Amino acid sequence: MNPQKDPILCLITDLETPPVAMAERALKGGANMLQLRRKNASGRELCRLADALLPICRRAGALFIINDRLDVALATGADGVHLGQEDLPVGEARKLLGAGKIVGASTSSAAEALKAEREGADYVGFGHIFPTGSKTKGYPPLGPDAVDEAVRMLRIPLIAIGGITLENAHEPMRRGASGIAVISAVTKAEDPEEASRRLLAAMKGEAG
Amino acid sequence: MKATAATAAPLPRLVVISEGSGGNAIPETLRAMAGGPPCMVLIREKRLQGRELFSLAQKARREQLPAGSRLLVTERLDIAQAAGLDGVHLPEEACPLERLRAVAPKLLCGRSVHSTDTALEAEAAGADYLFFSPVYDTPSKRRYGPPQGTAALREACRAVTIPVYALGGITLERVAECMECGAWGIAAISLFSEPERLRSILETIHRTTG
Repeated sequence: MNPQKDPILCLITDLETPPVAMAERALKGGANMLQLRRKNASGRELCRLADALLPICRRAGALFIINDRLDVALATGADGVHLGQEDLPVGEARKLLGAGKIVGASTSSAAEALKAEREGADYVGFGHIFPTGSKTKGYPPLGPDAVDEAVRMLRIPLIAIGGITLENAHEPMRRGASGIAVISAVTKAEDPEEASRRLLAAMKGEAG
Repeated sequence: MKATAATAAPLPRLVVISEGSGGNAIPETLRAMAGGPPCMVLIREKRLQGRELFSLAQKARREQLPAGSRLLVTERLDIAQAAGLDGVHLPEEACPLERLRAVAPKLLCGRSVHSTDTALEAEAAGADYLFFSPVYDTPSKRRYGPPQGTAALREACRAVTIPVYALGGITLERVAECMECGAWGIAAISLFSEPERLRSILETIHRTTG
């Protein structure tokens, strides 16, 4: 993964919002990474969305990552794939994608994050940090202090995820996270462009 | 008729498709094929997530299949490549075939079609073979509409030069009719779902298909 000096603001698509219009606005507001996540979409639909989103990301200088479906990432030339613990193992994805592309992994403990790093991940998603309404989790939030421990052990960037809002976005960042990933903080905002801009400011500890 | 792809051996005449119930029966099914005719085996387990599907594909790959057999998985080219399978079979709603072909030129790529028009499109896109369905009435294919019948099968087989497998409601008695329509072979789920009878059913059909 290209080491980004700027903090990473990753927007993950939700199921309710048309992703292309949403992505355009969020990227304009400064989001620099987009993850297409659509669990029940067909391969054809994912290809179609990826074909629409990739040029938008390229124009904005943002990374475009596909959740789970490495086949679609390969077919569409996306920048990489993001893998959950139930998806293809990180090491297998790395072998297929080669060194030039990005493999990210969802992790929920320092041990999982370290394992992903050893298997060749370029970054880890780490969470959920705060309580979240996005999906029912089987465990309580990790809390921002968990970021300290994981960051100390990792060499690759950690992107904090889960329940991140304008109010708490600074917490994982000041503990060493390289960025944050959000869904509803942008997709449910009245103005996704402005929400992205304010999130980036909040990550730096500046008043929104 | 062209019938070569990843390996030099012609495509098998018989396609065994998994039941979609999680794949636990697949290793047993593969072992039951030992000593029989070559088969194409399609791992079609849509409910499995990537890691489970990969693990199942690896297990299946480790089984010794009759010479000339091929092992495929539905849609997931990444899993086919990671597990060293021979190819992918694409439903109509899959990634466009030519896009996957560009990523993995040597992988066997087949496609499901339900009309002569889509058969021609799939051939033009570079498909190695087709499933034409549903030829006969079958509960698992009713969502694709009424059966196409053998006349439609014959038309599709005449229209393309790549192998066409008849799928949907295939029974032992119907194999000869499908072959007479110009099918390269037959594909089935339930006909092959009992491991203890599998070998004898495959051999019976193989005597008809040659």
